[in-house]
Amino acid sequence: MFFIPGPVIAALTFPGVIIHEAGHLFFCRLFKLQVFDVCFFRFGNPAGYVVHQEIHDFRAQFFVSMGPFFANTLLCAIFCTTAFLPVWELKVFDPLAYFFYWLGLSIGMHAFPSTVDLSHLWAQAPGLARKGNVLAIVSLPVAALLVVLNYGRVIWADLGYGLAVGVFAPIAIFRALALIGV
Amino acid sequence: MSQAICSRCGQSFAIKSLFDLNGVTYCEACAQTASKEAREQGHPASYIPLINKSICARCNAYIGSSPDNAQIGTLRFCAACAPLVKDWDYPQWLKLSLAAVLLLLVASLAHGRKYFQAGREMYIGEHLVKQGRYASALLHLQETLRIAPASDKAALLAAKAALLSGDVASASKALQDHNGGRFENAEKPEFKEVSGLWNRATGALEKAEQAEKLEEEDGKEIEAARLMHEAAVTYPEMPGLAFAAESYDEGVAFLKHDYDAFLAIAEKQWKQQNLPQTAAAVASALACKYAITADIIYRQRSEEMFKTARQLAQGNADALKGLDEFEARNIYRLESRTIISKQEYDRRFRSIKVSK
Repeated sequence: MFFIPGPVIAALTFPGVIIHEAGHLFFCRLFKLQVFDVCFFRFGNPAGYVVHQEIHDFRAQFFVSMGPFFANTLLCAIFCTTAFLPVWELKVFDPLAYFFYWLGLSIGMHAFPSTVDLSHLWAQAPGLARKGNVLAIVSLPVAALLVVLNYGRVIWADLGYGLAVGVFAPIAIFRALALIGV
Repeated sequence: MSQAICSRCGQSFAIKSLFDLNGVTYCEACAQTASKEAREQGHPASYIPLINKSICARCNAYIGSSPDNAQIGTLRFCAACAPLVKDWDYPQWLKLSLAAVLLLLVASLAHGRKYFQAGREMYIGEHLVKQGRYASALLHLQETLRIAPASDKAALLAAKAALLSGDVASASKALQDHNGGRFENAEKPEFKEVSGLWNRATGALEKAEQAEKLEEEDGKEIEAARLMHEAAVTYPEMPGLAFAAESYDEGVAFLKHDYDAFLAIAEKQWKQQNLPQTAAAVASALACKYAITADIIYRQRSEEMFKTARQLAQGNADALKGLDEFEARNIYRLESRTIISKQEYDRRFRSIKVSK
């Protein structure tokens, strides 16, 4: 496993950082939370952040923490799907396709919520899950998996996730479309 | 200035230890009681440190009791921060970037339409290959290769589909058009599978070619038929080989003077495929039967079959040329009731013409 400094990775995949933070901001605005500060990108750790008021509502907490994960994953799947065929399957050299694949992978690589985001969720979810809160029940295994994957960033779990979404999502989409005859 | 009075108990306390509840100042003990009472009366019950009221919660600037300050929830903000915190807008560059990316995405979707079409054809082709519908799969995969001839997957799938449907020419084209037949990884199972199929098919075609050459030689009919049968067994996916092997059996039957077998095979092939060649073979076998039986019915049928062969060959220059060559021999066989091979006929009649 080779080491590349975080700021270098962040610079190479900056669209993902911006989209991730924009996702946090979007859900903060959606739930009318007070936002104290936003940094969409910087050469530091973390590469971006959104500082917002303390959240007491679990639904808001869930979407502010996990929203960027779902948004980045979805955008990664969309961008990679447009470029997947020429890049992977058809082996056609098309610069625009490679640009979109890079964009998709960059976004997918920054899908994971930060440990801070997850810790807020993790603090509230177990108690609410015991009370039968469906969102809390659903978020527990997802959050647990993401905590593990977050630690796996040192072995490129974030890149692995981006690639997995960027490869398997298009394959699944195209096979399904072919099977239903679209 | 660092002291203030609790409005409830009237005692003086340091400002940093006092609290604010609905605009009224309390000490900690009184704040708890007042909060409880406010809750019971249905009023807002949350209280904040008094000092927080004089510091902006975002930028920490001292705001004192300026009327421009704003309280949002339980926090107070300076005039500059308050609107920002209340409604933190997306920066202009972010909006423009997202709009640009969306435009590019639309452009990419339009630009990638041909790739989607090629990919769709490939996945359908792959699905049909898995179902064993090779000929149908080949049509879809050829469409993919038209757009992306360098695709390993499409080329290998097309070659596989072609080889398993007996179409060696299409397989050869699919492979040759892919970087002159070079592939990234020769260890891939897909490549090995196609390579095995290719070797089997070309091996069979080599045998068939040898058989064709032998068949033209006098007395080599048995060996030619054996080789053609081997080719047919080696590559059963090409039905033409089995058909050719059967037609070579006609030659063997002719060589053994077994004209009943010759006629039976020729008629069977004619039933299977109405071609000028199969019609001519029936005409030839009937002429043989006439030659040894003198039964005029055989002669009439032979002549009828020859006419049929001519009709079928209309517009087919090669077939007409072959029939022109055969016609003279068949007439000779019918007129003389003498059965000789083509080679013997050529030796007796055609070589003389040439030498003259």
